[in-house]
Amino acid sequence: MQRRTFLSLAVGACALAAVPASVRAEDFRKSKPTAWTAKTPEDAIKAIYGKTETVAEGVTVVAPDVASNGGAVPVDVKSDIDAKTVMILQNVNPESAVIIYDLNEYSIIDFSIKMKMKKSGTITAIVEGKDGKLYSGSKTLDVALGGCEG
Amino acid sequence: MKIKAKIKKDVIDVKAMAKHDMMTYDIAEKKTGDRNNANFITHIDAKIGDKTVLDASTSQFLSKNPIFKFKIKANGFKKGDEIVMSWVDLKGNTKTSKTKIK
Repeated sequence: MQRRTFLSLAVGACALAAVPASVRAEDFRKSKPTAWTAKTPEDAIKAIYGKTETVAEGVTVVAPDVASNGGAVPVDVKSDIDAKTVMILQNVNPESAVIIYDLNEYSIIDFSIKMKMKKSGTITAIVEGKDGKLYSGSKTLDVALGGCEG
Repeated sequence: MKIKAKIKKDVIDVKAMAKHDMMTYDIAEKKTGDRNNANFITHIDAKIGDKTVLDASTSQFLSKNPIFKFKIKANGFKKGDEIVMSWVDLKGNTKTSKTKIK
């Protein structure tokens, strides 16, 4: 019985409509839904930013050379660029976008997360500068044990 | 959600760990036979008073029990101020937790 209720909630698809007022700013899941279904980094970047030209400087992505557990790969992204948003992507999971930070006056670009990587590949971070340019950094790594399976 | 926030000079270091399965569509299909059982945090934010200090839209590709580490400029915030973090997931569940900056 519980499962049926669960399923009927999911069928609505617009579960996001239930978002409370306190969670605000640009919720990119609502404003740019195609970014989350894009399979390649290029498509995801295009969906969010409307372009794909990037300048490969000013963004540091730190991750292990060999990740022992693809279910929890530690990634740090740092940058000193005066920016509006930061996006982290990869090119081995079913979809490319991992997280998008909408920055504010208090933001320092020094974020750490743990993410899933299905297999060896490249993690890319895009920093959207206030100058309108997209800056990028990346890290290619080996994944010992694939991780979309958690 | 476990949150730790520490102020050092003019930077506040925050580390938060949410408790969430972050079940991807593929895992939902594999384990339950139905992709619609997927559920994962889709948005998380952090506020100190009425100021938003973190705002992130997220995907199924963050690890289970995802951690969020970030740094912010202390600009006027101080020890004892409360940081409040909230997440929302795909199915509309929400969770809010808070802690005082140490």
